[in-house]
Amino acid sequence: MNGSVSPPEFGWRPGLRVGVGLGLAVFPVAVSFGALATTLGWPPLPTIVCSVIVFSAGAQLALLTTLTAGSGLFLALGAATLINLRFLPMGITVASSLEGPIWKRALGAQTILDGSWAAAYQGAGRYDRLTMFGASAVQWPAWILGTVVGVVAAPQTSLVESLGLDLVFPGFFLILLLDSFRSTPRGPWIAGIAILLTGGLVLVAPVGVAVLLSALSALVVLIGHGRRGSEPTDDLEPE
Amino acid sequence: MTTGEPLWWAIGALAVINFVIKAAGPALLGDRALPPKLVLVVHSLAPALLASLLMVQLLGQGWNAFDWKLLPGLAVIGLLWLLRRSQIVCIVSGVLVTIAIRALV
Repeated sequence: MNGSVSPPEFGWRPGLRVGVGLGLAVFPVAVSFGALATTLGWPPLPTIVCSVIVFSAGAQLALLTTLTAGSGLFLALGAATLINLRFLPMGITVASSLEGPIWKRALGAQTILDGSWAAAYQGAGRYDRLTMFGASAVQWPAWILGTVVGVVAAPQTSLVESLGLDLVFPGFFLILLLDSFRSTPRGPWIAGIAILLTGGLVLVAPVGVAVLLSALSALVVLIGHGRRGSEPTDDLEPE
Repeated sequence: MTTGEPLWWAIGALAVINFVIKAAGPALLGDRALPPKLVLVVHSLAPALLASLLMVQLLGQGWNAFDWKLLPGLAVIGLLWLLRRSQIVCIVSGVLVTIAIRALV
């Protein structure tokens, strides 16, 4: 659920228009999630409910990947949680744009998605909440519908490989990774260290442990940070 | 763990965690900011985790799932991303290359 589409104006309607483009992008990923989850043994109902109540490609794929690789509940949840921790600073950036009592702001924050958040950026640290709401309102049903289609049409493992569909998830992770380089200082260095760590750790440790330990590579961003003279939160503003 | 009650617990717990992460900033912090270094590290978790998950998808436990025929497709995806093609174009092109490689080798 990423993207860098910028609407010429802000509000519900421009947000919905952006959401259509983002929805078309997330639909095939959702189909792949539904299909792979079914192929790996997840029953249809939990797979679909997962898309309804979690609604996060990266976290859902992390949960699926680690659980089906044999990791325990806490390791799998840890990996999925770390993936979504980026929403914490993103939530802080939009805090002043969300109005009303605490429960209303908490609900509004559920529309924070990578693409919607980027589309809502007005510049100078300001975000338009209606644009974000509109963009996410289209992506949610697209994500659920795609998952249902994937579950219903789940192909056999051999067919998945012959159709090259086993490339979809690594490819999706690669695109999200490359996108993250645009907003993360030293992103390629962090990713390089994480790749080396994971490559070695999966030989000696469960997948979930390898993923969690590789997260330590994020600390590279702090090396020499004090000498850069910029506010870290400046790096969070979308392009 | 792929079926039954534990799977429901995993999904439910992830949904709650996801809700709390997104709601924490707007609901609790308001306009107050987290320590800048903490924000930077949290944001840097994305490339670290995504790179790790990419490797896990490619290698599997003990490198048992590694298939070099996926690499050309990934290279094409990376190249098209550099050319600023859309996500769907990148993925479909990578899949087509993978199909071709598997058909030829």
